[in-house]
Amino acid sequence: MVEAFAVASGKGGTGKTTSTLALGMALAADHDVTVVDADTGMANLLFHAGLDDAAVTLHDLLVEGTATDVNEATYERFGLSVVPCGTSLAGFEAAEPERLRDVVAELARDTDVLLLDSPAALGSKSAVLPVVLADRVVVVVEPTIPALSDGLKVQEYARSYGTETAGVLFNKVRGGADDVAAQAERHFGGPVLANVPESDAVRAARRAGEPLIAHAPESEAAARYRRAADRLDVRDGDGDAVADRFRSAVVPDTP
Amino acid sequence: MSGSPEGDGSASPTLTVPRGTLLRSRVVSDVGTTLSRALDRGLTGYATLVPQETLLLSGKARGVLTFEDGVPVLAYNTVTDSGGPDALAELAVPGPYRVELYAVDRSGLAAAHEEESLRVAPDAAATELADDADLAERTRDAAPGERLRDGDDEDDAVAAFLADDDRIDAIREQARAEARDRAAEWGLDDALDGSAEPDGDDADAAAGDGAVSGGAVDR
Repeated sequence: MVEAFAVASGKGGTGKTTSTLALGMALAADHDVTVVDADTGMANLLFHAGLDDAAVTLHDLLVEGTATDVNEATYERFGLSVVPCGTSLAGFEAAEPERLRDVVAELARDTDVLLLDSPAALGSKSAVLPVVLADRVVVVVEPTIPALSDGLKVQEYARSYGTETAGVLFNKVRGGADDVAAQAERHFGGPVLANVPESDAVRAARRAGEPLIAHAPESEAAARYRRAADRLDVRDGDGDAVADRFRSAVVPDTP
Repeated sequence: MSGSPEGDGSASPTLTVPRGTLLRSRVVSDVGTTLSRALDRGLTGYATLVPQETLLLSGKARGVLTFEDGVPVLAYNTVTDSGGPDALAELAVPGPYRVELYAVDRSGLAAAHEEESLRVAPDAAATELADDADLAERTRDAAPGERLRDGDDEDDAVAAFLADDDRIDAIREQARAEARDRAAEWGLDDALDGSAEPDGDDADAAAGDGAVSGGAVDR
């Protein structure tokens, strides 16, 4: 295990899931990458990865008393290990968020980079757990005031739990936004990883149920995501220590 | 109505518009409701917008947003005398607004609407105040072609926001306090990083034995 990143935004619609899979595929050129849909209430990674009919998902791993093995919910797709989450309300209600810690610890033993696609909110324990558990956070924002405000808020929540910012990804950028990116860098604890343009290729990839880099590898957006991954500067860590840390992270029982 | 008559005499122009006919007055949780209503009825007139969020603003914003045929034209903050994107940035806060919507004869706004320094991109209010991409697109579609060049500066409000260090500090401070409060509520306070909050009164209490969090390794 090298490092676990929470990909987070604080608001919906910024393209977090697209970004998680694109960064994952780009990082997979040099690392074993596992992508987890940690947005247990509003899961959608399965639709982006062609796993709509996945029989076993993260929801099954988060239910007490099930003997489900993590491997059963892990699918090899597009050069990644993908742990999708189900979309049923019943599955969400039965899930116990604190069990995510054990799932992450288990996955951490067997992968280099763990990307946690995080909920677009901070209003519940299950929503903040990914930023609590991760080593660092990648903040995905659109270049708008509401998105930047929420991105700053995510950063502060993460910092409160000792999770620093790996970088900021500007998504759905129209026009240049270079000035905005340079200014934003002053306020975030990490570099601007890329300005990813608003793109028909992203929408087409989503419709096709494929990650952007698989669907449109030559697109400008895909190139920007690769650049973002290069700038992410994945840190070498002691795999056993990281797994132990997840296992011992203080996450008490009450939901 | 008029922009702040007791302005500081700086070069920025004030906004003067006729009072017009009051159509609605209420507190809205989402200012997109107001913008959408103005767009749908093709309103020519203006809205006054008073954010109810006081923590981040300290009472520094009372906005006027004018419309022509439902599309926003000018933005102005009567408290600070800021206009255009700067005013939008000052008004862009989460939470409810007290909104009044007025209709004004087109001729009553003609002179004001010539003041280009107060102009905002047609979709900027929908994006920055209402955070509504669909409404922004509908507004762009409804805007006359010559207004779309006002969109060349659409990042200006964002740049103004990012240049306001006091405001950013306030957002961050508020988020830190909220994170601490909620951690206690969710039973996650043992996972808080005690070293992260030099200004936290009880930060040292969070770094108890066994507290392990995402930041505990490698930093």
